[in-house]
Amino acid sequence: MQTRCDRIDGLCPWWTVAVVAAAMLLSGCRESPNDDLGVGPQVDVKPELATSDAVLKQPVTPAVEPEREPFDPPALADLDRATTWIDRPVQDGLELLRAAQAKENLLCSADEALTLKNDSADTNAKILSALGRLPADREADLEARIDRHVMGDLGSTNPIMISTSAEFDILGLTGFGLFSFGRDLEPFAAAETVVSWQTSADGLLDKVVMRDDLVWSDGSLITAHDIAFSYTVIMDPRVPVPAVRSGTDQLRGVHAYDDHTIVFFHQEPLATNVWNINFPVLPKHVYEKTWEQDPTLKDSPEHVALEQSPIVGGPYEIVERTRGQQIVLRRRENWSTVNGKKVREEPFFKEVRFRIIEDPNTSLLALKAGDIHEMILTPEQWTTQTTDTDFYQRNTKANAPEWVSFHLGWNIESPFFADRRVRRAMSYAFDYDEMLDKLCYGLYQPCAGNFPDDSWMAPKKKLQPYKQDLDTAEALLDEAGWIDRDNDGIRDKEIDGRLVPFEFSILCSQQPLRIAICVLMKDCLDRIGVRMNVKPVESTVLQDLTQKRKFQAYFGGWGSGTDPDTSENIWKTGAMRNFVNYSNPEVDRLYEEGRRELDRAKRAGKYARIQEILYEDQPYTWLFWRNSFYGFSKRLRGYVFSPRGPFHYSPGFGSLWMPSE
Amino acid sequence: MATYLVRRFFLAIITLLAITFIVYGLARNMPGSPLTVQLGEVDPSRKLSAEDQERLKEIYGIDEKTPWYVGYATWLGNLARGDLGRSFSRKQPVTTLIGERIGPTFLVSGISLLLTWLIAVPLGLYATARSGTTDERGTSLLLYVLYSFPTFVAALFLQIIFAVWLRGTRWELPLFGMTDLPADANWPTRVADVARHAILPIVCQTYVSLAWYSRFIKANMEEVMRQDYIRTARAKGAGRWRVLLHHAFRNTLIPLVTLLGLSLPALIGGSVIIEQIFTWPGMGRLFFESIRERDYPTIMGLTLMFSVLTLLGQLLADLLYCFVDPRVSVE
Repeated sequence: MQTRCDRIDGLCPWWTVAVVAAAMLLSGCRESPNDDLGVGPQVDVKPELATSDAVLKQPVTPAVEPEREPFDPPALADLDRATTWIDRPVQDGLELLRAAQAKENLLCSADEALTLKNDSADTNAKILSALGRLPADREADLEARIDRHVMGDLGSTNPIMISTSAEFDILGLTGFGLFSFGRDLEPFAAAETVVSWQTSADGLLDKVVMRDDLVWSDGSLITAHDIAFSYTVIMDPRVPVPAVRSGTDQLRGVHAYDDHTIVFFHQEPLATNVWNINFPVLPKHVYEKTWEQDPTLKDSPEHVALEQSPIVGGPYEIVERTRGQQIVLRRRENWSTVNGKKVREEPFFKEVRFRIIEDPNTSLLALKAGDIHEMILTPEQWTTQTTDTDFYQRNTKANAPEWVSFHLGWNIESPFFADRRVRRAMSYAFDYDEMLDKLCYGLYQPCAGNFPDDSWMAPKKKLQPYKQDLDTAEALLDEAGWIDRDNDGIRDKEIDGRLVPFEFSILCSQQPLRIAICVLMKDCLDRIGVRMNVKPVESTVLQDLTQKRKFQAYFGGWGSGTDPDTSENIWKTGAMRNFVNYSNPEVDRLYEEGRRELDRAKRAGKYARIQEILYEDQPYTWLFWRNSFYGFSKRLRGYVFSPRGPFHYSPGFGSLWMPSE
Repeated sequence: MATYLVRRFFLAIITLLAITFIVYGLARNMPGSPLTVQLGEVDPSRKLSAEDQERLKEIYGIDEKTPWYVGYATWLGNLARGDLGRSFSRKQPVTTLIGERIGPTFLVSGISLLLTWLIAVPLGLYATARSGTTDERGTSLLLYVLYSFPTFVAALFLQIIFAVWLRGTRWELPLFGMTDLPADANWPTRVADVARHAILPIVCQTYVSLAWYSRFIKANMEEVMRQDYIRTARAKGAGRWRVLLHHAFRNTLIPLVTLLGLSLPALIGGSVIIEQIFTWPGMGRLFFESIRERDYPTIMGLTLMFSVLTLLGQLLADLLYCFVDPRVSVE
């Protein structure tokens, strides 16, 4: 960086003067000619990061050690002698699901389910019960191909560079990993790759013994050294890893003692340690020769070639990639059969073709025409465009609750919302019935707080979602000193010797439902003498303003993580996602304690208390929990929903199958 | 001529510097950065820490310590070495990205533009010849209806008719994408497949332009038709079509050449809506998304390309004036 800055500084005055002069002389010249800008539909593509060639051209500087304590792993014999190991679960997600389904009552037959129109909770339950079943012996067509839908293209096929939904979808099938979690979001070591997993009694170590029948797609053995190497690469500050570093950066070190034994060293004994040891794995024999020369992992000819045809360790490999169009994965024979011996079950599909379609209307037509076998439906599509025979001819649909909630956030540092009574008044003012029944078509459940009612961390005594009560809202505002003193119809309050009217703006993205909900809130507030201006802005601007806390109120939503601790950075004082500037020492303390509490029941109590405090404080007006809505081809079976949808858990996509013709 | 071209070249360089400087300044000063979008990801278990954000900003040269004009100087320096940078979001060199998209965009836009001219010129002449008659008014009405029919609605109808209802018939057309064939398909099959995929996007991109271009031609023609020399030609006994084509149409070529020159950047500009609906890998969507993603290298690469083409189109138009009107000279 120093080299580049020196060079630029030398150029700066000349370029600046010349360019400014040119700009001043010719400022009337025409803009670039893309007339379509700004009128296209809002695209919900999750972007990711890469480096610029400015980086590429820099001389490779020596690796700067991350600011961590020097780490010198002890010998394994010493470690074993000094440690009491506790066995942790090693499970097969598919077997877990099979066992769970064996205990479930079948609500109807698959044939009957395929004739149903999903227009009630009962039929939805029947469809999920009958069509979510795993196949009996030889029932699945192992030569089948599934055409899946993705909204956007891959930015990278390198597993440590992933950050978007599409990348997690695709690389979830090609990537190698030691850990996973089930439908209940409980973590375990994956039986496909792990022999044993143990945690030290003091919670500072995790030891994993890997299976010896794992090979990369080029036939090389997958070993513990690949894991340790991947950790080194991920933690190197020169490598522009966008997302997977979080969690990994909490480790003290990772050491491979032999080809199969790996130990993860933690800095502290935390309940969340299990999530920190689950990171993507690179083939060491491929990258060890190249990554030092090109720490971007993208620019050298070797890395460019790997980007197109990566060496993978998961059950599928990428066999074709047409940018912006499709990605084709094929089942790896050497995943299930090693040295001529069948070592694990093969996935149900021989080929998985991801079709990239950004436009939701085109995706729905593709589903109806049979070009794709599954897609996420929008609430509008669920309600109005998938009810006729045109849709049901080839497809059916199903929905399930998802741990994704939406809210109106109140910036506590603004003069309007510092007082808890005002925030509660906001929540009492809103017409939830109108929103849920009319704007959301009756598809969503009301939300009372951070954690879903059916989760282990929610309070035992269910919190009642707020209901509209304008009298209470007005009383609270009166109590907080917001009274219409000048009789102009708007409440006001004297702040710093000045009469401030209760008029503020709320930011929201340009999605119609979000604007409609904000407008509904505006109407509600008008009735109690509060003026709210709705300001729809581009999604990137919204993110920028909220991240910088430059707003009074905003419409937002969060997906819950696999562990309640992932919400700490929303509510802890000064935390990164604490956009509303909430600060409560008790909440801060409870998060700290929750992370250190290893007993599940006691831990649940801490988070339940946080939920109760937030309910009282109302830094957000919580609106609703969003459901997962999916359209599925009638040929598909085995879809089972978790709180994170039907794919993002174990077995997730692995449970889907097609019956033999 | 050589002096003129040299003068235009230096003017173009100054114009390009001005455009890229202004666009870079605007892009870098828009709210948000590539990291803002990254932080908007919904999965909370994979959030970038504040330290990681700073680290990445520094690596990408977009940290607060580096002023935007220094970033512009870096971009310009790299450009002088023929390097347009690498996309933040797509992780590819910008030149590769543009190279991948230019062909598909040109395929649709080029054919669409050609079809538009081939249909609009006769339509404009016909409308002039039959001005005020019922069939001319009927045709104009139809063209205006098409002009005001939103592309995204027309595209949806065309998709439903040709890709869903007519599926399995000889009239079936693909719903989306550029090809359904595997990468190893032989080229004649591939060409035929791409052509079938391109039909609906081309139709959608063409029909809206017809009314505009044909009315443009008619308006110019009517202006010329009022001139004395047209009356003279008629008085001399020249036939109706001869007057129209030989005497009048030739004199409307200057505005048409201007229009043609301005169409050059549109040839590779693409269309966000059509590309989005048909999942066509074109330039319009790339530009639109790069702005949303604050992908500065891609924004700048595309801006530079569009600017160069606009200037080239203007130069081409200026040079063509000399050919279509002998009274005009570059001197």
